[in-house]
Amino acid sequence: MAESNNQDLVTLTVDGMTTSVPQGTLVIEAARQVGVMIPHFCYHPKLTPDANCRMCLVEIEKLPRLQTSCSTKVAEGMVVKSNVPHVDEARKSVLEFILANHPLDCPVCDQGGRCDLQDFSHQYTPTTSRFTELKRVFPKEYFSPLIETQMNRCVQCMRCVRYCDQVMDVKALAPSGRGTLTEIKHFSAHELDCEFCGGCVQICPVGAITSRLSMYDFRPWMLKRTDTICTYCGDGCHITIQKKQDELIEVNSTQGVGRNNGDLCARGFFGYHASVHPDRIMHPLIKQQDGRFAQATWEEALELVAEKFQGIKTAFGGNAFGGLVTSRCTNEELYLFQKFMRGVLGSNRVDSSARFGHVNGTLPLLSVQGTHRWTATFEDIVDADALLLIGTNITETNPITGLKVKQAVKQGHAILVTMESLLPARGTISNITLLATHHLPVRPDHYHIAIVGLIKSVLDNGLVDPGLETRAPEFFRAIKAAIDSTSWAHIEEVSGVSREVFSQSAHAFSSSTRGMIIVGQGVLRSPRGAEMVTNLLDFLILTGRHGQPGCGLCPLAEENNDQGAIEMGATAEFLPGPIAIGHHDTRQALSKLWEVDLPQEPASSLMEMFRDAQAGQVKAMYIVGENPVESLPQTGKIKEALESLEFLVCQELFLTETAQLADVVLPACSYVEKDGTFTNTEGMVQPVRQAIDPIGESRPDWEIFSALSVVMDQPMEYGEARDIFKEIRSVIPGYGLVGPVATRPTPKVDVVQQYLQEGFAHGLATRYVCTQDQPASDTPFLLASTQSLFHSGKFSTRSKGLLQIQSSGAIMLNPSDAKKLGIASGDSVCVSNAHGAVTTIARVLNRIPPDVACFPEHFDQDIRCLFELHIDKESHVPYSKLTWVRLERVEKGDV
Amino acid sequence: MKFGEWVKTLIFYEILMGMKATLTHLLHYKPITLQYPHEKKPLPPNYRGMLALLRYDDETEKCVGCDLCEAACPSRVIQVYSAEVPGEPTKRYAKEYYMDMTRCLFCGQCVDACPVDALGMTQEFEWAVYDKRNLQLNKQQLLAIGDRAFPVREKRIEFQHPNVAYFNVSFGDIPQKDA
Amino acid sequence: MLAEKYQDHIADLLARYPVKRSALLPLLNLAQKEEGYVSESAMKEIAEILDLTPPQVYETATFYTMFNMNPIGKFHVQICKSLMCGLVGSDPLIQWVQQRLGVGPGQTTSDRLFTLSVVECLGSCGTGPMMQVNDDYYERLSEERVGRIFDELKETGNSSLKSGPFMVPEPISR
Repeated sequence: MAESNNQDLVTLTVDGMTTSVPQGTLVIEAARQVGVMIPHFCYHPKLTPDANCRMCLVEIEKLPRLQTSCSTKVAEGMVVKSNVPHVDEARKSVLEFILANHPLDCPVCDQGGRCDLQDFSHQYTPTTSRFTELKRVFPKEYFSPLIETQMNRCVQCMRCVRYCDQVMDVKALAPSGRGTLTEIKHFSAHELDCEFCGGCVQICPVGAITSRLSMYDFRPWMLKRTDTICTYCGDGCHITIQKKQDELIEVNSTQGVGRNNGDLCARGFFGYHASVHPDRIMHPLIKQQDGRFAQATWEEALELVAEKFQGIKTAFGGNAFGGLVTSRCTNEELYLFQKFMRGVLGSNRVDSSARFGHVNGTLPLLSVQGTHRWTATFEDIVDADALLLIGTNITETNPITGLKVKQAVKQGHAILVTMESLLPARGTISNITLLATHHLPVRPDHYHIAIVGLIKSVLDNGLVDPGLETRAPEFFRAIKAAIDSTSWAHIEEVSGVSREVFSQSAHAFSSSTRGMIIVGQGVLRSPRGAEMVTNLLDFLILTGRHGQPGCGLCPLAEENNDQGAIEMGATAEFLPGPIAIGHHDTRQALSKLWEVDLPQEPASSLMEMFRDAQAGQVKAMYIVGENPVESLPQTGKIKEALESLEFLVCQELFLTETAQLADVVLPACSYVEKDGTFTNTEGMVQPVRQAIDPIGESRPDWEIFSALSVVMDQPMEYGEARDIFKEIRSVIPGYGLVGPVATRPTPKVDVVQQYLQEGFAHGLATRYVCTQDQPASDTPFLLASTQSLFHSGKFSTRSKGLLQIQSSGAIMLNPSDAKKLGIASGDSVCVSNAHGAVTTIARVLNRIPPDVACFPEHFDQDIRCLFELHIDKESHVPYSKLTWVRLERVEKGDV
Repeated sequence: MKFGEWVKTLIFYEILMGMKATLTHLLHYKPITLQYPHEKKPLPPNYRGMLALLRYDDETEKCVGCDLCEAACPSRVIQVYSAEVPGEPTKRYAKEYYMDMTRCLFCGQCVDACPVDALGMTQEFEWAVYDKRNLQLNKQQLLAIGDRAFPVREKRIEFQHPNVAYFNVSFGDIPQKDA
Repeated sequence: MLAEKYQDHIADLLARYPVKRSALLPLLNLAQKEEGYVSESAMKEIAEILDLTPPQVYETATFYTMFNMNPIGKFHVQICKSLMCGLVGSDPLIQWVQQRLGVGPGQTTSDRLFTLSVVECLGSCGTGPMMQVNDDYYERLSEERVGRIFDELKETGNSSLKSGPFMVPEPISR
């Protein structure tokens, strides 16, 4: 923490050992540092001390009674004794009281074997009890599908309640009743409805709260642990996968480890079954004449692919190939894929799912400040004075980054400004806008004008960095002129936010010394995403926060390795580095290393590939783990493009809609079955480790690329994933120095200078122009395809645990709109526009803004047809997250 | 040498004494070898024979699937697959239970480890088989051994003492505490 | 419902405290006064008024024994079981009342008239055994007097044997 520095150290003696610790340290922590373990239940380093379990009593000289070491702070010259007989005696009594009600059902308890109470009982108690009374028994009201509470075992330490409140900010658990009859409950007899982060399961010192997914399947001593990285979002959380034989049993995370410090979300904690879903492809499949797939051996499949690829390459040249890879692959695989496409097939048509939005964050960062990574880390978020969250329902998209924001606000008292479509209403899952100092409720298609409003208030209120005008007069004047063309009246009318709120927010941000902007999917995945990010960088420069320590603009990655995909060159415009594809020296170096000539043709991105496929220029495609047929709307004519190909190879876990069009399907491994590295949203390269053997005959993606290159006679041979990593290191010097904290790049001075002098002019004519998309009178609702906390892409919809929480999509509406339309939660609703009509279920939620309807993108199979596809001219990002619809209630009989 | 000893030497006294013992036994003949398949030796009550799974008096299995026997076994005889009882949430039982008796040392540590006395050692020892695979026993076989070896059964645990009443009982069956 | 019916009262309560959450107990009192018990819908509404989650309201409501979590009868009979009343015979009295009403502590008679509760000291130790019915004290009880009280309550809704009212503000009229 920032406040502790070396000057105020306190010296104390614990059990005869003298140590110096920073002022304000708790006695229990000081004791831990000298190796004295003081037993405790209610204390946890993440939570405020509660001192309710009385287990950590110690004797402190000159203090009259035994003191709870978890709530006593150290003082100079303190003498603490924890191993004297009467302290033991006190602990014995405390345990006797706890055991008066704790059932002795350790043999059937999932915590048995790793239970604090069990351990302390062995250490301190006599084997008999003086209590002859009956133990308390709580009646059971329901059996939860995921988080099972057995309150008879509860020791009432309130750790779960405090965790739910202080860390997660959900407040879904509360103690009801009093005394020994205190029971941890949700609300009355209602089933637990919360974020399902699993934090209460992890933090419970006994077996009162356990996971039902693995209930009774294991005993702790049978488990083999593998430390790896979660695949469900860009946060890159450290997870420990526990397996018994080859069966996945549970996932947890250790406090003090990884970027998440032991906190997880529902996806990480309950989502691990997706990898072992029975629908996994077990063998290579080759499409027969009759259009059906036949099981094949690896030799047959690889030889067929190699033969076809060779044929097409000879006939049409390398440019007839297109390659698409998912950012869920490891860095090694992404690197090898682009090497395979560029080196072996000789095509510059390579792209990855980072194209769906993350490039909108990276391209502006590169052009303005010359970095492709954040210039800040999660630690900087926690230490920030002011945070500006734009277009991100951070709890649902990047829950752990959200926790850092919560920590900054709740513990660091940072100023939080949210520009978000959500309304600050309390619900069953936490809502970041409730913590905001200033909240700007902006409709999802109005972020652009709201950002302009924010910059305008910086200029109008004289909040501009004083040195800027002299340092970069042209930049300042040009931006001012561009901003001035939009009037306040227009901004207020369109965004619905008043001028005062804008200037309050701008004041709040400018008054801070450590200000960060966090940009989410609402900006990155909606039209003009790259322009908005550039404008926000202008905002940072204008307020003088750009380049300062602890400041920066942070685009959030949606997929776990979006950042890695860009760094590994698996996008059209970049070679590994990322270095622009036309960079001469890098091309030379890569040619020499790969022993091939790099293709000269212009690179083509995702949508250009499909366009050219339909035009017949692209003859064959290699799609790895991506499902464009399902993730892009029908208006994009992806299916038609893929059908017109001569040869399509898909490398997949499941037989998706895209894979069904393929000529050959190769079974790949999921993240639990392979080694490698993931790069998280803040740019930290973290190791992924194999937990279980590959399912069926599936093989890691890099092995398949390697095998294919050998069959094609241009071998890229590697013994293991680490060999590829070594090669990446030789290409990108200093890459992936694995350490406890992400490296924090600083903006490159020359690039920033260049931007301030002339770079800013690029696109300036358009990027501050506010356009307005008026709804047609017959389609008054803005339908937004949003991300749910309980799912990630379509992959997690194969996880049985997450399906227990959310198994289908529902259209979410504001209560006032619902009232107007006569819709209640659970009613059938017809959603329609010019593209079609879909009937679905309604869900009324207070946090949805008026005139907006949201639908989770994970279940959009049917509703996808209503969306249109827009392609960004600059960054080539396909946008398909917003559309205008009308809603009507459907009577049950009509369905 | 005394006179008496001299006479004993003269008349081969030791041989006579030996012959006396021999002849006495010859007259009062009583065999000590058991004719095994036809005759059986009574076993001590703590004899450690074949292992068995036991039931309560209401025919329910005692085993709660806690895997402690598996953990205690020095030669990895036991494999337990525990699960929730179908239809009775939060109640645990052994879905599958295997013993590889080819490896068993009959040390009895599993019986010691069992918290609910679900394992017993019977007096059976005649388990010679022609096929080793017949010594891989499953739960049904082990319960059958228990059924024939222990005809007198214990009362179900929740009826023994109210304080252990909610040890692995499905929550519907919990006797409620008086208000 | 509460918010609409007692708009001014709630505004007044909220104005009394620097932190919104502090108005939780007065609001729970209000809810109990309104319906006789704290209903789930009332707790949800209070949560919304105070920016809390329903579990947090439930937590507080269940901690205090004087909040009824279930619907109660027209007359809430609360008999003191503490030491002083116990010495002058509250135990047999409670037994007798249980038999008379045919319900145990915490239960309501089938005609929804009487709910029996056994409570700790009500501060009238000099005149035990005693009980409180709704907001009225009944002291120096005997089986005969309790019988009369119940009969009168049943017939007229009021009893002449009550002492008080001692409570401020005025008792509930329901």
